Amino acid sequence: MLFNSFDFAIFLPVVFILYWLLTNKNLKLQNSLIVLASYLFYGWWDWRFLSLMLFSTVIDFSIGIALSKQENKINRKLLLWLSLLINLGILGFFKYANFFIDNFKTAFSFFGNQINSNSFDIILPVGISFYTFQTLSYTIDVYNQKLEPTKNFIAFSAFVSFFPQLVAGPIERATHLLPQIYKKRNFNTDNAINGIHLILWGLFKKIVIADSCAIYANEIFSSYENMNSLSLLLGAIYFAFQIYGDFSGYSDIAIGTSKLFGVDLMTNFKFPYFSRDIAEFWRRWHISLSTWFRDYLYIPLGGSKGSKLLSFRNIFIIFLVSGFWHGANWTFIIWGGLNALYFLPIFISNRNRNNLNIVAQGKIFPNIRELISMSITFILVIIGWIFFRAKSLSIAIEYIQKLLSFNFEKGIQYLSIERYSIELMILIVCFVIFEWNSREHEHPFFGKWRYLKLIMVILGLITLGVYSSIADFIYFQF
Amino acid sequence: MKKFIKYIISILIITILSLYVCDAIYTQVYTSVTPRNKLQYIINTNNEKFDIIFLGSSRVTNHIDTELFDRLSNKKTLNLGVEGAGLNDNLLQLKLLITNNNKISNLFLQVDTNFENENPSNISISEAMPFLRNDVVQNHLSNHFENFNYLKYIPFYRYAINDPKIGFREFFFSLINKKSRINPAIGFTPLDEGFISTNFHSLPKSIANKNNALNHIINICNTSNINLILFISPYCSKIDSDIYIKQLITKIPNLIDLSKGYDDDLFFNCTHLNSRGAKKFTKNLHKATINKVLN
Repeated sequence: MLFNSFDFAIFLPVVFILYWLLTNKNLKLQNSLIVLASYLFYGWWDWRFLSLMLFSTVIDFSIGIALSKQENKINRKLLLWLSLLINLGILGFFKYANFFIDNFKTAFSFFGNQINSNSFDIILPVGISFYTFQTLSYTIDVYNQKLEPTKNFIAFSAFVSFFPQLVAGPIERATHLLPQIYKKRNFNTDNAINGIHLILWGLFKKIVIADSCAIYANEIFSSYENMNSLSLLLGAIYFAFQIYGDFSGYSDIAIGTSKLFGVDLMTNFKFPYFSRDIAEFWRRWHISLSTWFRDYLYIPLGGSKGSKLLSFRNIFIIFLVSGFWHGANWTFIIWGGLNALYFLPIFISNRNRNNLNIVAQGKIFPNIRELISMSITFILVIIGWIFFRAKSLSIAIEYIQKLLSFNFEKGIQYLSIERYSIELMILIVCFVIFEWNSREHEHPFFGKWRYLKLIMVILGLITLGVYSSIADFIYFQF
Repeated sequence: MKKFIKYIISILIITILSLYVCDAIYTQVYTSVTPRNKLQYIINTNNEKFDIIFLGSSRVTNHIDTELFDRLSNKKTLNLGVEGAGLNDNLLQLKLLITNNNKISNLFLQVDTNFENENPSNISISEAMPFLRNDVVQNHLSNHFENFNYLKYIPFYRYAINDPKIGFREFFFSLINKKSRINPAIGFTPLDEGFISTNFHSLPKSIANKNNALNHIINICNTSNINLILFISPYCSKIDSDIYIKQLITKIPNLIDLSKGYDDDLFFNCTHLNSRGAKKFTKNLHKATINKVLN
């Protein structure tokens, strides 16, 4: 079920009413309703894959209990490896099997040997990367004795399947979400109103910004051969705003929806395009995944505690794995590697924790230095996005080559979708001003103009939204 | 909870009011401005006399040089071809022209693979939406759209789901009276040079039994004394049209076949001529119909 669909517009109020009117008195009922609603939400897309989620839930619940009873270190390690193998095995099969088969075939044919093996016809279950990482965090935390394993299957199922964040995050930690699920939730008006504001703002980001940018970005990327440098630059910028609006919009709706049920999810985006360096960007972009890799991969590998060389290795590993997590394509791996390369000079010069606060805190405008560093970071990020968006490495390289040919003949090109880029640029500039103005808050609806801003956003949703083609959220494919 | 419910209700009221206000403003603008598309032009055209009207898809818009045909035939000519339009849309255009007491002597109608489709397409879906209260439009569309009642009664729904054509961008341009790329009073839009090559392919091997929209157009022309001339526009050498066109001519014996005889350098792409091709085609069509056009 899509957040921006009519189905969800019916589903959400119905579950909300049942939750606060019928199951309000009893924690078990509240959690049972969450599980039921979550399975319905997921099954709406494809009910067959419910069994996969249930299997993953049962495995990690059982391993959690087994870990609590086991004191032998080797046995505990075996149980952890069992969970890793099963969860990553399922993820690997559904997401990466064809990638490995195709690459093996290419590698062997390079040496003159042909392998006759067909790729599998596999459907990637929506959200598998997200809930797999979420259940893994539980088992690893239990193994590391940071968390008491739960004996309540319903509560654990609610943690794994919690519908607001089930298919595209934020990837919650058991240490943060499970304690909230153990306690009966009470209705909090301010929290719920805040949730509604986040949902509205998330919808605006998705339907107005991301979907508008998608029309232009798709057109430019699909006919990049005929585009001049200016159009290619705009195409990359549009994709940057498409993916930001799409994914941060989804996260806002997820966090907002969750607030309606009395549950707080972690923040996933903190105005990443206002970052002054790439380290800051990664502290502000897809925070739940970055911190997951930091806590469960980078630190166990030694983090920055060993020699510089070891630290470099660890940095490359997390960026490459993060790229690979996004999809089974070399473009994602190169995207990850490119970000590692951006990060290294900052890390070497110990400047990776220079910009911890939001830019120009308490001020209206940034200073020249901040403006320049934000612009440089944004340029680096959009070069990365070209790899992320392109269908293959050769296309990404050709796109960048054409972009750097500085061919501005014909100026702003007319697109066959009957659009001029200038119109979208105006929309993006307005959006950036809106975001800049609210960068120290969760959403723009604060202060004395909040009702006016709310009406503007509702009017924007009505008149500027893209409703002719309901688009999936990009991160569903990951 | 009470405070929250009040808040939600107030947001819902603001949203519903906004939908009604936006719908009313959009409709007012689209129905009262200088026409920017051909359907608006038709709806605003009353009691006119046209010697020749062309109807069809982009294979008319881009192919018939209105001024040239006007000069050659010495007759008042109008090109009402619309990109993406099918026969059903042409039927709606004709109904509106006649309802508005316009007098048409000759109607040139492009018929080719559009014979396969009886459903409304481009114009009806988007350009007709602001005119849902018009009786002709309403009667025509209500037969074809399952969601007609949603379109008619849910405020702004008709504009929202057709946002690429009649969304904010088009509304804004209409509001500021921006001149359209296509002048609806002439209707010809020539295409650039440059042949976009495609793989060899063929038109459908089989043909539909009949097309009710076409039959309806023929009936209207008969009852309104309009001389109907049906023709096929050209295809490039990479399209195998022989089998389909042979079957089409069997079904419509008086169909004028001009699908062949054009070099590929006269095409913009395989189904659309460039400006040079359009001139040649206009002259050929005039020559082929010189004895069929009524005064």
